[in-house]
Amino acid sequence: MLELKLLWSALVVYVASGSTAIVSVVLGRKPQRVILALLALGLVLHTGSIAVRWDRLGHGPFVTMFEILSSNVWSLLLAFALAYWRIPAVRASAAVVMPIVFVMMGWLLMTSPGEGHLPPTYHTIWLFIHIGFGKVFLGAVLVAVGLAGVVLLRFKGLGLRRLSGLPADERLCDLAFRFMALGLIFETLMLVAGAIWAQDAWGRYWAWDPLETWAFVTWLTLAFALHARLAYTQRPHHGALLIIAVFVLAFLTFFGVPFISTAPHKGAV
Amino acid sequence: MSALSWFRGAMQPGEMTCTAYPWLGRLASLRLTLVILALLGMGVLIAYLSETHTTWALVIPLVLVALNLAAAVATNGVFRRKTALLIFHLALIAIILLVAAGRLSYLKGHLELAEGAEFSGELVGQESGPLHWSRLDRVRFVNEGFQIDYAPGVRRGATNNRVRYVDEQGGIRQAVIGDNDALVVHGYRFYTSFNKGFAPSFLWRPTQGSAELGAVHLPAYPAHEYRQAREWTLPGTSRTLWVQLQFDEVILDPDKPSNFRLPARHVLVTRSGDTRTELQPGQTLDLPEGRLEYIGLRSWMGYTVFSDWTTSWLLAASVVAVASLSFHFWRKFAQEPWNPDERHA
Ligand code: HEM
Repeated sequence: MLELKLLWSALVVYVASGSTAIVSVVLGRKPQRVILALLALGLVLHTGSIAVRWDRLGHGPFVTMFEILSSNVWSLLLAFALAYWRIPAVRASAAVVMPIVFVMMGWLLMTSPGEGHLPPTYHTIWLFIHIGFGKVFLGAVLVAVGLAGVVLLRFKGLGLRRLSGLPADERLCDLAFRFMALGLIFETLMLVAGAIWAQDAWGRYWAWDPLETWAFVTWLTLAFALHARLAYTQRPHHGALLIIAVFVLAFLTFFGVPFISTAPHKGAV
Repeated sequence: MSALSWFRGAMQPGEMTCTAYPWLGRLASLRLTLVILALLGMGVLIAYLSETHTTWALVIPLVLVALNLAAAVATNGVFRRKTALLIFHLALIAIILLVAAGRLSYLKGHLELAEGAEFSGELVGQESGPLHWSRLDRVRFVNEGFQIDYAPGVRRGATNNRVRYVDEQGGIRQAVIGDNDALVVHGYRFYTSFNKGFAPSFLWRPTQGSAELGAVHLPAYPAHEYRQAREWTLPGTSRTLWVQLQFDEVILDPDKPSNFRLPARHVLVTRSGDTRTELQPGQTLDLPEGRLEYIGLRSWMGYTVFSDWTTSWLLAASVVAVASLSFHFWRKFAQEPWNPDERHA
């Protein structure tokens, strides 16, 4: 099937790009153009795969776990590629970000690419708005996680020489928190858009279903992280740990809850 | 370190302008904010994980958030220098107050209407905030029948329910509503639900008094496909009558697309005491208390109804919150580059 061939080629190209990034940090080389070009090629192939499937099924990649993972690998790598391209200081963090995305790709390969049933409530523009905001949120947090990872690696004394060309930890942490701020804006937008959709479709804007609950806890943790930075003079690796904590919660919300929950988002019934 | 001195230590020199009320400064502490945010997170999880009534787990931290935030807004100089940040936090307070107001005055209920029947303001079940002021008696609408398509495997598709209603200006209007498309009148939102079924309708002529039309809602179909029977009491009497709907056709075929419809042929079995009677539309049953005429079979629809006047205000507050938050960060980040050394590099 063309769709799966495209997807597999994209994954192979992503892995090539990520491995080059990791090796380049370990060996202290800077093949940045190659990494970015491979990322871009992977994204093109992946976009093709998603488009073919969309056309075949008549709906976007929002229903099955396979679709959720595939579209998020796509959006996370798109966000990261944009940051990689525009902000040179982010580049070394590919060695942290790519392994995270590799895990998602491995998981993607293990899920069944079968079709799901698009619920009637999904025929609305709010689906795209809500999910779109969520993707920007997760993309921003992923970039922050990459930077936080670099800070933590240096704190642990790993790759000191390779990572020494980068700005100081305080500066990286500041940049990471700017991405967290962007994340807060988009997570707030995601929650508001979801609430508008729920109010319109079911008459109540909030029902504490598992996804809503975990998304709200993630939002609170993000607020906590931003305030902690203002309330205390923070060491960069503490800030980095808070960023990782927010990411772990966001990751569990986006992928863990739909995976284990038998009571899905009301939107999915 | 005692809790008090810990919070006192949280006051940042220069930020607190309130010396007249030191306790207000303490209540405004940003470190207290951290504790409260953590409490709120735990409260959410307690409320989510526990089966019992745990409103307190959310209410207590939310009250604390509001107090802490209000104290900070009153005393922390940062909010006078950064208007957008102030507006964002005020919007958060507004959201908390609106949510509280919504919980005090909301209504969530359900009702059933046979085809052709008019909503009379009566709900079958409801939950509401203590301050809900019902305007349901103003709502008038008639269920004019519905259509539901089923995919193979008896998978329910969208419900299209025609309703006729009286709008707020008194005009008569028509609409098609569904599980996700509400009829919105007088601040109430009515949605159809998965709950629907068959309703034998009767004309009851008691020996004394005037005739009455009514319908008996049999258990939901197809959820209770094999239990299409119900016992009910004839109006104005103590006589109970058991009725059962019998038909042979397959209405919802698991192997192909189908739609919800009335059976083409059916018989209504009634039992009163030891007397069993089979009725076809138009036939009657004579009882000591009067005569019951079986008019025919219809469908009934179960509706859910919601009301919460705060939603549009909540939306407005959320838009203000997001806009001011974005503006705050945009200005803050535009003012200072994240890496000042870069310019010299
Ligand atoms: C619980 C009550 C709260 C209090 C007392 C409070 C207080 C404050 C104060 C005083 C500041 C300014 C700190 C400074 O610049 O020195 C601040 C900043 C901020 N607060 Fe709150 N806040 C509260 C709740 C929240 C919540 C629930 C959010 C939700 C996200 C939030 C989001 C923010 C953001 C985004 C900033 C700006 C951070 C930055 O500029 O990096 N706050 N808050």
